[in-house]
Amino acid sequence: MSLHPALIAFFIIALAILSAAISFLTLRKVIYMALAIGAVFIGCAAVYILLGAPFVGIAQVLIYAGAITILIMFAIMLTNHEEMEPPFRWTLQNGASAAFCVLLAAALLWIIRSQAWPAQGGTDINHGRSNPAAIGLELFQHYTVAFELVSLLLVVALVGAVVLAQARKEDE
Amino acid sequence: MAWLWQWHNAGLSWLPFLGMVIGAIVVLLIGLGVVTYEIYFERKVLGWMQGRIGPNRVGPLGLFQSFADILKLLIKEDVVPEKADRSLFLLAPVIAFIPSFMVLAVIPFSRTHVFTANLSIGALYYLALSAITIHGVMLGGWASNNKYALIGGMRSAAQMLSYEIPLGLSLVGVVLMAGSLNLNDIVSAQRTWWFVIPQILGFLVFLVAATAELNRTPFDLPEAESELVAGYHVEYTGFRFAFFMLTEYLYLFAMAGLAATLFLGGWLGPWLPGWLWFAIKVAAFIFFQFWLRATMPRLRVDQLMSFSWKVLLPVALLNLVITAVVKAWV
Repeated sequence: MSLHPALIAFFIIALAILSAAISFLTLRKVIYMALAIGAVFIGCAAVYILLGAPFVGIAQVLIYAGAITILIMFAIMLTNHEEMEPPFRWTLQNGASAAFCVLLAAALLWIIRSQAWPAQGGTDINHGRSNPAAIGLELFQHYTVAFELVSLLLVVALVGAVVLAQARKEDE
Repeated sequence: MAWLWQWHNAGLSWLPFLGMVIGAIVVLLIGLGVVTYEIYFERKVLGWMQGRIGPNRVGPLGLFQSFADILKLLIKEDVVPEKADRSLFLLAPVIAFIPSFMVLAVIPFSRTHVFTANLSIGALYYLALSAITIHGVMLGGWASNNKYALIGGMRSAAQMLSYEIPLGLSLVGVVLMAGSLNLNDIVSAQRTWWFVIPQILGFLVFLVAATAELNRTPFDLPEAESELVAGYHVEYTGFRFAFFMLTEYLYLFAMAGLAATLFLGGWLGPWLPGWLWFAIKVAAFIFFQFWLRATMPRLRVDQLMSFSWKVLLPVALLNLVITAVVKAWV
């Protein structure tokens, strides 16, 4: 295997994602954990960009690293100022979850290894167009119904959130 | 900097890499130079509008005033409050600053695009990265462990998040007309007329939302001196404070570049070279912001949110619908 620049970049990004994820699990202060999950999101965005899908990558930064991480921080700041997790102890539940996680990782690894993936650089996922144009055409030509259903779902969620917020105000 | 995202099909050799590094350094130096004189001109313009002289002691016409201020900030003691969250307090200015410099990568400064990334999603890239700065502002306010800083940080996070939505929607009209998110293509699409004419509604929404996004008067609630002391950076001193100020003025430059690119035809214009046209348009936007600061009183905090959601957002949506209908049937 030759050391293609994209491969080197992938390993650097993967290392960054893994270290952010591990620090997310080991840090005890909730606000640090929010920052670590933001770093994980940005690392995933870098992987998408590396794979030739900059639209997906930037949407990931905009929605996950931007909006959702800030919402998490808002929730932390509005609740407990010095929120700390208690130190870790091995219990039956923790042991069972750890065993299940190892099983899940093994299953995922087995499935990924058993697939025949297209060779490196074999196909252009954008079919020679720019990435947002390729995604738009794909969405509106092949997945129109699914796309419209998802937007309907989001509208329902939005209206539902407004209704919930409204009802609580009347109670007070 | 376009090469950066094409490793997988172009391969990376030393020469393009060197070009990228030099480009980044040149853009950083341009940014720093612009920020230095933005501050000088802000003080001069404000002084002129208020019947004062403004800075005139350091150098001829006070031209070196900003350098003296920067030197003063750099040699000041770097104070970290004892009860502050030390690591976050040190990290927050860095998180705030990095995106403000990164957004300059997609701004097309000139006709030749020497230092411009030809990113297919340039407009979205700007919006996404400017959202990262909110983390820095919010964490800075929280880590200071000061009630004014916390309120300022929360206010600016709420304000910047709410105004990012009308800002993004006002861009969609331009993107629809140009048929591309690439800022270079958007400039080329304005050869017949600048988008400020057909997109006047979108431009007005953009102007208001951009002012709010930059935390400038009349939307400077996060830094309201009279009620919050100075907002999220009240505990910061020395060069960390300088980083927050640098972020703010670098965003002013970047936002002016974005406005010029999207609505005012970027580097397009007769007779003069492209970079000069771009500089003139950017300077006009920046001057407009200073003018606003000298003219407008501050909004109340309860008016701020409802204005974004109940006025700007519907107007931006209306503009989007009109643009889509006109584009489809006319």
